[in-house]
This record gives sequence, C-alpha cells and structure tokens, in this order.
Amino acid sequence: MKQSNKVIALLLMLSLMAGLLIGCGKNDQNEDLSDKTTFTMGFDASFPPYGYQDENNEYVGFDIDLAQEVANRNGWTLVKQPIDWDSKDMELNSGTIDCIWNGFTINGREDNYTWSKAYVDNSQVVIVKSESDIYELEDLKGKVVVVQTDSSALAAFTGEDATEENKNLCAEFQDLQQVSDYNNAFMNLEAGSVDAICMDVGVANYQLEQRGSQFRMLDSNVSSEQYGIGFKQGNTALRDQVQVTLDEMLADGTFAEIAEKWGLTDSVCLGEEGTDQAYKKDASEAEKVTFWNRFADTVKQLPAGMLATLLIFVLTIVFSMPLGLLLCMIRMSRSAILRGIAKVYISIMRGTPLMLQLLVVFFGPYYLFKIPVSSTYRFYAVIIGFSLNYAAYFAEIYRSGIESIPVGQHEAASVLGYSKVQTFWKVIFPQMAKRVLPPVTNEVITLVKDTSLAFALAYTEMFTQAKQIAAAQASIMPLFIAGLFYYIFNFLVAFVMDKLEKKMQYYR
Amino acid sequence: MKLLEINHLKKSFGELSVLKDISMHVEEGEVVAIIGPSGSGKSTLLRCATLLETMDEGSMYYDGKVVAADESGKTVYVGKKELQERKSMFGLVFQNFNLFPHYTVLKNITDAPIHVQKRDKEEVYQTARELLKKVGLETKEDSYPCQLSGGQQQRVAIARALAMKPRMLFFDEPTSALDPEITAGILKVMRQLAEEKMTMIIVTHEIAFAKNVADRVIFMDGGVIVEEGAPADVIDHPKNERTRNFLQKMEK
Ligand SMILES: Nc1ncnc2c1ncn2[C@@H]1O[C@H](COP(=O)(O)OP(=O)(O)OP(=O)(O)O)[C@@H](O)[C@H]1O
Ligand SMILES: [Mg+2]
Repeated sequence: MKQSNKVIALLLMLSLMAGLLIGCGKNDQNEDLSDKTTFTMGFDASFPPYGYQDENNEYVGFDIDLAQEVANRNGWTLVKQPIDWDSKDMELNSGTIDCIWNGFTINGREDNYTWSKAYVDNSQVVIVKSESDIYELEDLKGKVVVVQTDSSALAAFTGEDATEENKNLCAEFQDLQQVSDYNNAFMNLEAGSVDAICMDVGVANYQLEQRGSQFRMLDSNVSSEQYGIGFKQGNTALRDQVQVTLDEMLADGTFAEIAEKWGLTDSVCLGEEGTDQAYKKDASEAEKVTFWNRFADTVKQLPAGMLATLLIFVLTIVFSMPLGLLLCMIRMSRSAILRGIAKVYISIMRGTPLMLQLLVVFFGPYYLFKIPVSSTYRFYAVIIGFSLNYAAYFAEIYRSGIESIPVGQHEAASVLGYSKVQTFWKVIFPQMAKRVLPPVTNEVITLVKDTSLAFALAYTEMFTQAKQIAAAQASIMPLFIAGLFYYIFNFLVAFVMDKLEKKMQYYR
Repeated sequence: MKLLEINHLKKSFGELSVLKDISMHVEEGEVVAIIGPSGSGKSTLLRCATLLETMDEGSMYYDGKVVAADESGKTVYVGKKELQERKSMFGLVFQNFNLFPHYTVLKNITDAPIHVQKRDKEEVYQTARELLKKVGLETKEDSYPCQLSGGQQQRVAIARALAMKPRMLFFDEPTSALDPEITAGILKVMRQLAEEKMTMIIVTHEIAFAKNVADRVIFMDGGVIVEEGAPADVIDHPKNERTRNFLQKMEK
C-alpha cells in the first residue's frame, strides 16, 4: 500500500470509531410487549446450578427452570442463549438478549441495569485444596486468589462498594487473578498455580459435590449478596411483566418447588423484606456516567494491558525467529530422522489451534508429570507457547526462501572454497532474508492480533483488559480503543517492514 | 607436467549413463577446448572435475596429487581437508555467471581470497583492482551485479575466479548466455589469458574461437571422447563421421 493510502485508511478508521463511540450513548427505550413471542435469556452456560449444560448437552438449571415457567405463563417461547460473560452488556444493549438471568449479582451493579426483585441471597466463599494450610480469611495473605472476570467475588474485593476489610485483605494477596470460567479456576487450583478460588456459595456447593473431597470451603464468608434478573436500563415494561409472573409463582408455590429441585431452598429470598431496593430504583435516577468519564477510566487502565501485549509481541519475535531458523535447518538436515521429527513438529504446530497449545504448555507439566505449576509460570507459558508456535511458521517461510535461491549460488560458493557455514551465512542467509520479508511481515502482523489469545491462560494482555473494563463499564468503548491500538500497532509494523524492504532494494 | 588427469571416469544419473569411460589429461599451460552436441556430457565432465558432482567410477589427480582414487570399481575421494586444499588449484566460470547479487563487484572478487584463503586484505584489494582493469571494468568496483550487463557480469566472474590465483581455469560455455556482439569482449579476455600461459579447459560452441586459441580439441558425443588432437586435425580434417556431422551442423 502506498503511504498516502495508509494515512487515508487510518483517518477512515478513526472517523468510523468516533461515529460508533458517539452512537454508543444512552438509548433508553421501553419495549412494546403486545406482540412479543419469544423471551431470550442470556446466561453463562458454565454456572451450575443456575445455568449449565448437562450430559445430554441440554441447558438446565434453576434459572432456566424459572425462566421457562415465566415464558410459559406469558405465552412466550423461551430462547436459552449462552453468552460470553465478558460481552453480556453488549448482548443486552444490542437487544440480542432480553435479560441476564444467571445468578446475576445486584450488589454494585444497581445503576447499570433495570432490576427485578432479588430472588436469591448469596454469599461469597473461599475454596481451597483439602490439604491447604489456609483455614481463615487471614491465611490468604501472601497467597494467589482467583475469581471469575466481573464476578461478585471480584467486586467484593476491588469494587467501589467493597468493604474496607476486604480491600485490606486483597491488598495483602500475592496476586488476585481473573479467569473466564470456573472450570478454568478449578484447573488452576488443582495444578497449584493459584491457592484459592473465591466464588458464590451456591456454585461452590455444587462444585464441591461434583469434584469430591479434593477441595474444601472456608468457614467464614467474604461477603453476602443478592441475585436478581437484569434488564436493559429503562426496559421496565418487560421487567414488570416478568416480576408479576414471578410473584404469582411465589404465591402458588411453584417458585419454592423449583428451588427445592435445585437444592437452593436455603438460598432463595424472593418476597422477603429488603429484597426490592434495586427494583424500586428509578432508572432516571441512575447516576449518569458520561462518555468522557468512561474514556478517562479506559485510558487510565488500558496502558498496563498494552505493555503486556507489547511484551508478548517483542519476546515472541525475539525467540521464535532464531528458533524458526534452527527448526528450518533441522527440517533441511541430512538426517532423515531429524527431518522427520521437524516435519511432524511443524505439522502439529500449524495444524492445531494456538489456544490449545497454550493450554498444553501451561497445564501440561501438572496434568502430564504432576509438577505443580506456579502462577509466575503463566507469563512464561504464554511466551513459550507463542514462540514454539511461531517458530514453526517461520521455519517453513525460511525453508521456502532458502529453496528459492538458485543452485548456482551454492555451486559458485563451493568452487570458491567456502565452507558450509560460510556459504550459509555469507551467501544464502542474506538473500533468503530479503526474499522472506513479505511473508514474515504477514506473520508478524498476525502475531500482533494473536497476542489476545493469551487470555486462554488468564494472562491479562490488552484485549482481556479491554474486555474487563468493558464489562465493568457496561460499554463497548474500551474494545474500540483496543481495536484502534491494534490497528496503529500494525500500521507501525507495516511501516517498519516497508522501510526494511526498501533498504534491501539495492540489489535484485 | 600433468595438471589434471582423469582415468576411466563413469557417471550416471539413475538409469541414465552420462559419462562412459572418459580418460583425459591437461598439461600445465595448455588450453583444451571441449566441443560436442548438446547432452553429450560436457558439463557433467566439467562438474566432476570441479567437484560439483561425484564420480561413480574412475580416478582423478590434480598436479599429480590424488583427489579421487578408484578402489575396485568405486571412486573414493580424499578427506575433507585435502579436498579443500585441492579446490584452491582451480577456478570455474559458469555459463550464467553466478555472481553474488548482494555483494558489490569488488566484494564478489575479494571475499573468498580474504575469508577462505586468509590472504592479506591490502594485497587482495590490489590484485582485485588490477584484475578489474584487465577485464576493462576498473570503474565498476562499487556496482552491484544487477547494474551490469551480461558481458560485464561474466568479466567480473572471470576476475573473481582469477583472484583466487588458480593454476587452471574451467569455463562452461562462458559466452552462450550472451548476445553475439558482447561475446567478443569475453573471448578477448580469454585469448589474453591463453597468451599468458594460463591453463584452461573450455567447453564451448565457438568453433572458430576453439580453433584459434586451443592447443588441443576434444570432441565428445554420447558420453565418450570420440576424437581429440590439435585443432588443425580435429576441426579442419576430422577423421570420425560423427565429428564431421557435428561440425557441418555448426557451420550452418
Ligand atoms: N543432475 C542431473 N540429473 C539427471 N540428469 C542429468 C543431470 N545433469 C545432467 N543430466 C543429463 O545428463 C546428460 C548430459 O548433460 P550435460 O549437461 O553434461 O550435457 P552438455 O553436453 O553439457 O549439453 P549442453 O551442450 O546442452 O550444455 C543430459 O541428458 C542431461 O539431461
Ligand atoms: Mg552444458
């Protein structure tokens, strides 16, 4: 692309984003229920017993049963829509789901949604390994604690409404990490990379039952909290209709029946005193968070993630490029065995998802060799995984570059008496480097975008961070800023590679 | 003094037998021209002599020193170190030059003498400049090969080979990739080398040039040496039917 074209592309991209960001403002609206035929509940499908996938791949759970009953009574067809927890606000605001109904904690989110009355009272508890030396909350000092992204456990430690006690306790953790689902959290706990999980008691009870005696729950709670159904802000019409139906179900005993079915009789609280505070809140009262507030917050929080992304990028390049050369030499070596090994390695690395490879690098030591993994290994695992994967791609690019060099060059070098090593470094390598520059540029640009896969190991690079901020702000602006960063980053990469290519134009 | 001696050389590519029992030798100071139809094995012979191909059978000596010995029907080469030593005895000029495109003309010529032969830099640069002058390219030392014409590139390639101070030079059709009017410049340089008593083995299609410059002409066909001798005999009065046919075709 010509330089001027690139500038135009950048300007276009910027104006597009500006348009989108402005469009992201408030768009309160009440829904007309008269011709409503479907009711779409958004839920995190890995959150038993509230909503999860059973052995027949059916979505089941307490919340699902409740929603089903509500839909039936209103003559709606229920659509069970599993969502990525980080994108729940985007789903809700764009209208792809009607509500978030999924053990959804009201506390701390009172102003972000139009709420039903609270129907479950839940507390945040701590799970550790059975043989752990942690018994009291105090013992968590200096330990690594993991919570789900944007979970109430996270809010209990770092949210605006977190108690002083919890904030102080959290400050003494070695680290508070976030993962995207509880399965991942338990894998981490089992592998030893974290010391404790903080989570909802209902989920915790269920998980302990499923996973047996390897884990135990601490006696004291981190916090207490309530669950409600979250609707898009201002959508009181739908909220009221659902609430009326729920109240009917409470009156005729259906609600209690469903609660008992899921073993939640002790947790439910619908109709009890003090459960309608968020419900009574008028949407218009909600504190208006301005665009610029959010923007300032994002700009304050994102740079840490950008740094992490840059670090992954730079270290991966530094390790994978030479490693790729080594691999390429093995791939082209005279020994058929070595060649075969390199070939298989390359085909595996190129034939399986990078995300899976990252998981194997991180969890492999524990699940294959029972070596406990420490939490600092997370970062190394990201770099190792990326480098191993990209080395395979670079090796093949180098190989095609080397093979494209005319055989006459080797022959001229041989007749002049150059050794094999001299021939490679003096004659072949410089010409290969020039030839492979365009495909290497492609790979490098892919790498910039691939860094976001580090989230698979719960390593917070920029994209993960942007998703977390987006979840906390209930806004998609942070994601656009992240997108802009990737674009500018790649713009610079392309610019540098272009300069390099020009520099090598002195010969053909 | 025999600088090159090859005995009973056989070479096949898979099923295809390309050289069938070739024996030849080259005296010091002698210019030998090898002619013959396409596919007769001329290049293969040169590539075996310059160690770019391995011989299947037969033996080879440079300056009386063994390079490859025939041990009960199979060729066995001397060790890596000796081979490396023997390689400094000859140079090869390719049909398509094979200059290093990323090096300047001067670096193309000086790099191997400095880094392979470990000769003194100053001496090498001086030699290189003299050679460039000799081939008429003294103003081009900082150019890259892609900035030169084919004829100029071939002259650089000759200078590069000469900079190694070889005792004999092989040429594989040095002019056939070039336009006829450019050929003259290359041939002039080679004629000059012949006058300086440089030992040369030249595969060529330029019959007139061979007749003019060579002390001896070898005619090859079908992987064997059909006829050899002084140009006056082989070219002007060929004894063999195949030689006559070939020369007749070349005249047209
Ligand atoms: N590396 C190789 N593998 C297989 N066959 C080869 C190889 N090199 C040469 N040949 C074959 O050997 C035969 C002789 O080839 P060679 O290049 O020696 O002929 P030539 O006399 O130099 O011909 P020309 O005048 O066209 O250059 C040809 O049939 C050619 O196809
Ligand atoms: Mg040939």
